[in-house]
Amino acid sequence: MTTKGTNAETTMTEVGATQKSSIGVAEILAWSSRNGVFVFTALLIIAALVFVDGFASLINVTDVFHRAAPVGIVAVGMTFVVISGNYLDLSVVAQVATAGVILIAVSNTHGIFIAMVAALMAAILFALVNGIAVGVFKANAVIVTLATTFIGLGVLRYFSGGSIFFGPPDGIIKAFGMGKVGPIPYSAIVLLVMTILLSILLNRTNFGFLIRSFGVNESATRLGGSNTALIVFGAFLVTAIAAMVAGFVLAAFSNTAVSNDGVGYDFRALAAIIVGGTSVFGGRGSVFRTLLGVIFVSVLTNILVLSGISFGYQQIALGALIVFAVSLDAIGRKVAR
Amino acid sequence: MSQILELSDAKSKGFFGRAGTVIGRRTEGRGIALLSVILVIVALTEPLVFSAYSVTLGRIALIGIVALGLTAVILMGELDLSVASTLALSGVVMASIPELWLGILAALATGLIVGLINAFFVSVVGINSFIATLGMLFALRGLAFVISDEAPVSLVNKEAGISFGEPLIGPITPRVLIFILVFIAIQIFVSKAQAGREFFAVGGNRQAARDAGIPVTRRIVTGFMISGFVAALAGIINSLERTTADPTAGSTVLLTAFAAAIIGGNYLKGGRGSIVGTLIGAAALGVLQVALTISGVQVPVQQIFIGAILLIAVTTDPNSLRSVRGSIRTLRQGRAKNSVTT
Amino acid sequence: MVTAESEFGPVLIEADAITKSFGGAVAVDNVSISVRAGEIYGLVGENGAGKSTLMRVLAGILSPDQGEVRVDGKPVQPGARAAISAGISLVHQELSLVPEMTVAENILLGSFPTKVGFTEYRKLRQIAADALAEIGVGVDLDERVGRLSVALRQFVEIARAVAKKPRILIFDEPTATLTPAETDYLLAMLRRLADGGMAIIYISHRIPEIFSTCSTVAILRDGKLVRSSSIDSLTPSQVVDQMVGRELGLDLATKRTATPGAVVLDAQGITAPKVNNVSVQVRSGEIVGLGGLVGAGRSELVRAIIGADDRTAGSVTLTHNGETITIGSYQSAVRNGVAYVPEERRIDGLALSMSVEDNIRLPNRKELSVAGFKVGSKTAQVAQLLADKVGLRPPEIRRDVGEYSGGNQQKVVLAKWLGRRPKFIVLDEPTRGVDVGAKAEIHRLVKEIADQGTAVLIVSSDLPELLELSDTIHVMRDGHVTGTLSKEEASEKSVMSLASGETIVRSS
Repeated sequence: MTTKGTNAETTMTEVGATQKSSIGVAEILAWSSRNGVFVFTALLIIAALVFVDGFASLINVTDVFHRAAPVGIVAVGMTFVVISGNYLDLSVVAQVATAGVILIAVSNTHGIFIAMVAALMAAILFALVNGIAVGVFKANAVIVTLATTFIGLGVLRYFSGGSIFFGPPDGIIKAFGMGKVGPIPYSAIVLLVMTILLSILLNRTNFGFLIRSFGVNESATRLGGSNTALIVFGAFLVTAIAAMVAGFVLAAFSNTAVSNDGVGYDFRALAAIIVGGTSVFGGRGSVFRTLLGVIFVSVLTNILVLSGISFGYQQIALGALIVFAVSLDAIGRKVAR
Repeated sequence: MSQILELSDAKSKGFFGRAGTVIGRRTEGRGIALLSVILVIVALTEPLVFSAYSVTLGRIALIGIVALGLTAVILMGELDLSVASTLALSGVVMASIPELWLGILAALATGLIVGLINAFFVSVVGINSFIATLGMLFALRGLAFVISDEAPVSLVNKEAGISFGEPLIGPITPRVLIFILVFIAIQIFVSKAQAGREFFAVGGNRQAARDAGIPVTRRIVTGFMISGFVAALAGIINSLERTTADPTAGSTVLLTAFAAAIIGGNYLKGGRGSIVGTLIGAAALGVLQVALTISGVQVPVQQIFIGAILLIAVTTDPNSLRSVRGSIRTLRQGRAKNSVTT
Repeated sequence: MVTAESEFGPVLIEADAITKSFGGAVAVDNVSISVRAGEIYGLVGENGAGKSTLMRVLAGILSPDQGEVRVDGKPVQPGARAAISAGISLVHQELSLVPEMTVAENILLGSFPTKVGFTEYRKLRQIAADALAEIGVGVDLDERVGRLSVALRQFVEIARAVAKKPRILIFDEPTATLTPAETDYLLAMLRRLADGGMAIIYISHRIPEIFSTCSTVAILRDGKLVRSSSIDSLTPSQVVDQMVGRELGLDLATKRTATPGAVVLDAQGITAPKVNNVSVQVRSGEIVGLGGLVGAGRSELVRAIIGADDRTAGSVTLTHNGETITIGSYQSAVRNGVAYVPEERRIDGLALSMSVEDNIRLPNRKELSVAGFKVGSKTAQVAQLLADKVGLRPPEIRRDVGEYSGGNQQKVVLAKWLGRRPKFIVLDEPTRGVDVGAKAEIHRLVKEIADQGTAVLIVSSDLPELLELSDTIHVMRDGHVTGTLSKEEASEKSVMSLASGETIVRSS
């Protein structure tokens, strides 16, 4: 960001007319980094259906939905932070756990309504700290959210003492967590609703527009007369609220909550977002694509689990997937230039 | 040539003027401030920390060694989040090889290879280092799990591990000695070696560095290899002392090491900072951690402290403060516009 | 300092029939020059005349499309390294320094003296000290460059070029940011270096400097060499005439006759970095021009006025329909009817990978939405209307702005602000990098905007443009307004003289 070309004559003479090269490497790379997820997800599901025993079973499908839902909800929310050009929000790890623990613990003592309000307050607090540090202080989002992860988890562990909270065995939370429509659990429906709502927010509203515009060009967005600090805060708020909902869904599923419930959510959500084709360079992406990315990552994980491949290999696969998908994007951009 | 133009504004100010210039050149201010505050508070409330100096030194060494490696990368305006997993992975690699010396060599090689891979993605492919090393953070953690079969690996040669924890001279355990050696090596590299000095150019003005013929890609490779190597060293020390290698090790160290490097005055945008600053930052956080532990403060609260210090460190560099001043001004004048006169 | 040509040594560097174009636009067109040892060779021309491009070809940074560069009669291989080893050194702009490194390190950046990989600091400091001594500048070798004044950084750049022991030294507008005393010092230094047998090529806008220092002057206009001759055979006013050269193509048909109304913008005592206590008023329907050289503080002034950058002192008010509003933050300025067309449109003005429609939507989003939700039909309609109005070609609002040419991109910037019916609009270099056709259309638009009662403040380094558009011209130099010219008084010469400091007319 620091070395922008400022030489007048270069700017002047190199601004050519429309530059369209013939179909080449750049187009192929750009296309696959944008649309590869459609093809790969379809291929993956077909491969799973044909080669993996037990993939198509009802129990397994429900299981995939159950596991995909909370990660997916985090991912569709975090898509806003990624599109705004702030890389990611690592603190979703703390946010998911906080929301779950508050939901179970507080509803045991004060009822579910107070619990949800309290969780919302916590989510807003996370968004405020992240948003102010990144939006006003212009600090690096990765480091800021790394710090807030530890602060958040520290506070949560201090108050919860690291213990597991159990919800009442016949409460509304458990009923929701177990509820299904056919093979589809309620949590998956929540994911779908969140995807639709956030898709509308991103594509149809001024707020979503500003998020995209900020991700493409921060300076032009500011000089277009908008409050950039508010935009950054907004992106973190959407993420925080999504992480809260994910925490609710996760806690409801097991009817328990503990302070390390959110471990790995940062990473799996990011994998889904990036695989979906949302660019870590900011500006380009969509919530719907993230949903596809979630499906891809969840099906892939499921296949690995069903094939008896250990957790370590799953981690390697997802880490490699992130680096590979971003490389595709980066090389595509380089060649296009 | 008799006439010499004296345009410098930092001249002839006497002792205080010159002292001011010297201070203005340094970047360690915040680190020294934090260290002083912590030392004073600790001296008043928990003087035990100073009598248990061997514990304190050991803690500083562990934080500091990773932070020193990170500093090499931060100076170039890059980040290496993968150090946490590199630490765990190298420990596991060492522990899974029965012959200790072979294990140590393999662990160090692991660190170097990780650095090479990171540098490849950052400087050749052109991915942002946060994202590239984040992907590596998770992939390497997975690899550590695979190699260790998801459980801590015991050292075959436990005696070597136990003797490694014994002090050599006074409070100097091998860990502290290695830390001091790493500090000296990196300090000399960054301040005296041509390649090390050029890290500042790569971080401060990458285009100018390229124009001046500095091999930027090679410098980035060197930086990531230093940080990988040093993280591997930390993993070896950690596993030797505990006589087991834990595949989940390192995540708190990552946070603390970042906090140490940043509070020590190393700018995340690169080009500015110092190894001494990192040392000061590590000392401050080491003393704080030991003091908190001795006072019986719970681990979660310690995490809050370190997290808060990292947050403060990353929001109080001069660039951040400047943009805040701008924002405050905007808010104030935004209110002023309501003063409509007709 | 005028000497006969016979005093000089042999020809050191020759540029033979150099042609260089960028994507169809010819920047340097068949230019040949030759410079002798001991000679100071002045190169003048307006912004965009091709001086910098020619110099970068000489320094090997750009390779010419046609022609070759020869040193001692031998062709120089392409590439900056070959040029340096042939003895050609270019004094870069200050931004090629590393602010966090010391003066000594910057002077030898990329070529530290080393022994087995370790920097030999004694040697490094010695070479740096020698280079500084050669140009006669005393500066602490261990000071960080970031803490130096802009002028000192310029001298460090020169020391860096001198440390390479060049035989040919090229200066590209070194005095743009210097005070008169510093400039005098620099010019004396040039003469000293030339007396030592160096060939010096000196680019400047400032005609008096050329006459006090150079022995030969070459005039570039629109990429072509107009004239190259001994300085004795020319007068300053002849040089200005030849630089400007063209027929004054004032478009009389569209010349505006509208009489300005009440004061809309009133900026008093604006002080900011590079701007020193400047006051500007713009009336309704009036176009006020800001003339001056690059680096005179014009962009900084307009940004401080509208709040895009911080100002340290000064007040700005906007009056419309008898209501006066104080302008503080940039956001409040935009909300109250201020529009800004920035100098760097690709960095500050447009989101290149977004559509024309989205770019137009940015400042108009509130009007094009209901309760925060975009009204698609209305947005498309308004965007299309505005795109048509500014003459975007092709007028496809769904296309990415980045796919359009420079001129069309600038029209999009105008379109997005026109939708707001601004009361006051700032245009910074509105036609830089724009083709001739689009330029005329943008001029027509600017006049139209003014005719509708908008107060217009325009910064332009393109003199004919400034003269054609402006009703009043303030000329700036070194952060001050050195003169104010009415439409009748304004000419290319009068603006140029004020801008280059040849004469100083203090306005009351």
